[in-house]
Amino acid sequence: MRGIDRIIVAAALGCVASAGLGRAARADFEMRYPIIDYRELEFEHNGSTSFDNRGGRNNNQSYTYELGYGLFPWWEPEIELPYNAAPGQNSQFSGATFENTFQLAEQGKYWLDPGFFAQYSHAASRAGADQLSFGPTLQKEVNGVLGIDTLHTLNLFVSKQIGRNRNDATPVALAWQSRLRLNPLFEPGLEYYGNFNNIADRLAVTGPTHRAGPVIVGAFNLYGYGKIKYEAGYLFGLNNATERGTARWRLEYEKSF
Amino acid sequence: MNRHPLALFLLALCLAGTVARPAAAQDYVLSLKDNKFQPAEIEIPADRKVALTVKNLDPTVAEFESTDLNREKVVTAGGQITIYVGPLQAGRYEFFNDFHPEARGHIVVK
Repeated sequence: MRGIDRIIVAAALGCVASAGLGRAARADFEMRYPIIDYRELEFEHNGSTSFDNRGGRNNNQSYTYELGYGLFPWWEPEIELPYNAAPGQNSQFSGATFENTFQLAEQGKYWLDPGFFAQYSHAASRAGADQLSFGPTLQKEVNGVLGIDTLHTLNLFVSKQIGRNRNDATPVALAWQSRLRLNPLFEPGLEYYGNFNNIADRLAVTGPTHRAGPVIVGAFNLYGYGKIKYEAGYLFGLNNATERGTARWRLEYEKSF
Repeated sequence: MNRHPLALFLLALCLAGTVARPAAAQDYVLSLKDNKFQPAEIEIPADRKVALTVKNLDPTVAEFESTDLNREKVVTAGGQITIYVGPLQAGRYEFFNDFHPEARGHIVVK
């Protein structure tokens, strides 16, 4: 399939998939990669917790549990169940999310590996709003930087609430990660997560958050028994609207069928 | 305001689709038969992008994988895939069949 055909198919499927399910989830600090593991079943856990001694900002927790399958070489659907706990409160199920990752070209074929991500989140609370989020996931390998291979990933997602209780804001989430491919078990890097409340206000509204910090990524191959992947990072808040520190982690088991 | 989601969706698709530019790649062929890669060693030039066609001649599914090259892709029984690698520095890069890891080979970059 030619590149342009894949883009059209991805757009159509993204619309169909997003219209079919629905509602609100959080994956605040989760890097999305454009490469799909075809015929692999994935079980994934993501978590984050904040550290800040200023009132009402400490121990803000978010957890997700995800199940996905590489149905085609170019499409991986995934179901995500998120739980959130605001500071001083118990963890609550916040809704179910249907995620779709589209790989738009063979890995390494072009200067950049392009992908597309679309999700539809269904709010668990009647007071909440359903949400559609989508945008490009881009990855670039740069080999031999001072003798080291490197991998760079960029996510740029916009969101829109829909249905009952929606508002007109159009928040944008930007995520970037660069890491050194030193060893499959240990790839250190840096990452950044930015959230902008409403692009209609030219990114200058109150409360944009910026976080950046170190991350380590790795994978342990069990060969015929699958693969275990992990990510662990610590994000420093870069402005007053952001918690001073946030720990985030990801644990994934995948197996081909 | 209600037009924003569709406009943003299309803009995001365009961004994902247009930043990629084709790159010239030279073709090499690798076969998997009786759970052995043939040839077990392929020599490719340094600093060039290479398209490696992997043909699975066995009646069982296989997965071409290389942690050195950051590549992983399933090959159905009797099927074939194309793996793009490089530009690479000179050296030896190991690959294997993840479903039967005793099947191994190397790409030698010179």
